[in-house]
Amino acid sequence: MKIVVTVKLVPDTNADKRIDPATKRLVRTGVETVLNPFDEYAIEAALQLKEKLGEGTTVTIFSMAPESGKEVVRKALAMGADDAVMLSDAGLEGSDVWGTAYAMAAALKKTGFDLVVCGTQSTDAITGEVPGVLAEYLGVPGLTYLRKLEVDGTTVRGERETDTGFQKVSASLPALVSVTKSINEPRYPSLKGIMGAKKKTIAPLALADLGLDRAVGSDGAKTELVALAAPPARGKGRTATAADGAEGAQIIVDFLKEKKLL
Amino acid sequence: MRNVIAFIEQKAGTPRRVSFELATAAKDLAAQLGGQAHAVVVGNGAGAVANSLKAYPVDVIHVAEDADVDAFLVDPAVDYVEAVAREAGPSVVLVPNTMLGRDVGSRLAARLDAGLTADVTELHVDAGRVVSVSPKLGGLTITSCAFKDGDYGVVAVRPNTFAARQEAGTGEIVQIAKPAGKSYAITVEDEVVEAAPELGVDEASVVVSGGRGVGGPDPFTTILKDLADALGGAVGASRAAVDAGWVSHSHQVGQTGKTISPQLYVAVGISGAIQHKVGMRTAGTIVAINKDAGVPIGEFADLLVVGDLFGIVPELTKRVREAKAVPA
Repeated sequence: MKIVVTVKLVPDTNADKRIDPATKRLVRTGVETVLNPFDEYAIEAALQLKEKLGEGTTVTIFSMAPESGKEVVRKALAMGADDAVMLSDAGLEGSDVWGTAYAMAAALKKTGFDLVVCGTQSTDAITGEVPGVLAEYLGVPGLTYLRKLEVDGTTVRGERETDTGFQKVSASLPALVSVTKSINEPRYPSLKGIMGAKKKTIAPLALADLGLDRAVGSDGAKTELVALAAPPARGKGRTATAADGAEGAQIIVDFLKEKKLL
Repeated sequence: MRNVIAFIEQKAGTPRRVSFELATAAKDLAAQLGGQAHAVVVGNGAGAVANSLKAYPVDVIHVAEDADVDAFLVDPAVDYVEAVAREAGPSVVLVPNTMLGRDVGSRLAARLDAGLTADVTELHVDAGRVVSVSPKLGGLTITSCAFKDGDYGVVAVRPNTFAARQEAGTGEIVQIAKPAGKSYAITVEDEVVEAAPELGVDEASVVVSGGRGVGGPDPFTTILKDLADALGGAVGASRAAVDAGWVSHSHQVGQTGKTISPQLYVAVGISGAIQHKVGMRTAGTIVAINKDAGVPIGEFADLLVVGDLFGIVPELTKRVREAKAVPA
């Protein structure tokens, strides 16, 4: 079985980031690029499936990212994936959710898969919409928000998180799943894994290889960024020290009444 | 894009609170675009929800009481919304920024070849184009995205963004025909309810969250729960509390949990690291209770009370109940 894990490269949450007012894009210089934390759960889920299914199951990392992201993709290989495919093309810059998923779907069809494993969302754009659009363009069942995943023959089965519990869901392969952080604890790459990753293949793909019939990137985007603004400043408020529970409670009650929240 | 379609999320006849917010927003947006407001409600119990929608200002309520919507994941619901969208013509579809809402919205966008925006906290019309405002990069920047020319756009709206407004619309109820000869790929074999159905952290207007400082699982079902109940809100948690296994992931607020905008956020025993801050910085008012005056949350909370949470929280619950019992 061929498992493909989609991986996004994102700016480190802890880094000091800024937006270029002219291009309206994130200035990536000086900001460390990392694997989207949500995707680490997807990689781990794929590796655990491979370990369970044994011989004949492979895990391929897929990332749509500039070539400069190669070393970050290698970290995913160091965790234990077999190889990687990177879709890199200047023509993809400025892609919106639609264009991203459209190009990714074409690339994944070309790569081939039995199961695509995604994280639920990225930490930078936070749309959580790519897995759904992908499933639709790939024409396969999309089982989202799984906290448990198993493959039995040609059936994929899992527990999908809901707000009150979970649903037991199943579908036939080929399929796409997205997994939540409840599913596992991602492993750290071992030294052996890090050394081994250096020899693993990262196959490049460009837009020309996909033969898309529609424009992607800024031109093909269906949405256009018209403005960027800094969030309203959230300044330091009051600090009060309470000697006991009653005093603390009264401070809060008075504050809530003042704010008309009580 | 002239008409506006609101996807009404519901389960067994109980609509999610955000559904009425979307129904109201659909009408207000449609008025600006010179079109009509539609609502789509499907699945077991849809008929009852359609009736309750009559109290809100939508023009047409499309309904399909179809058990397949609950027996199979997402696809039947997408089919129905797609059918309504194609019949309505160029339109903006509003879905809630919830797990189901994003699933329906994303698949619908692919079918309609539509642009889509997510986690939208403001919506307006500028020079005839619909503009979605949403925070990105953990709230570092607020983006405004306009739909370019195109027949359809899909917008996932963050709960608590719009106020629901009761106002009887023309509210005509129309049955949606079941698409013929469809088979669905994802079977829902079982639905397991682990917690009593209650307002989730993403929809509640008040959230009381616990962190490492609460020290164990019990406070989540006792003192924090009592305070949340008294304030009419939900119980949330920081990553530390979820990772420790004290409370389930669905309660988690922050980078790897939910991003929320309640009117009031009460952080109990939470230090307020950046990963937590990005999930709740857009709350209306933030109150923190912590034993340490130097915690990061003190830098952005509206009020930080330094003291013993186990003393303050139960006492606060008592006083909130008293205040609510006797109108000032």
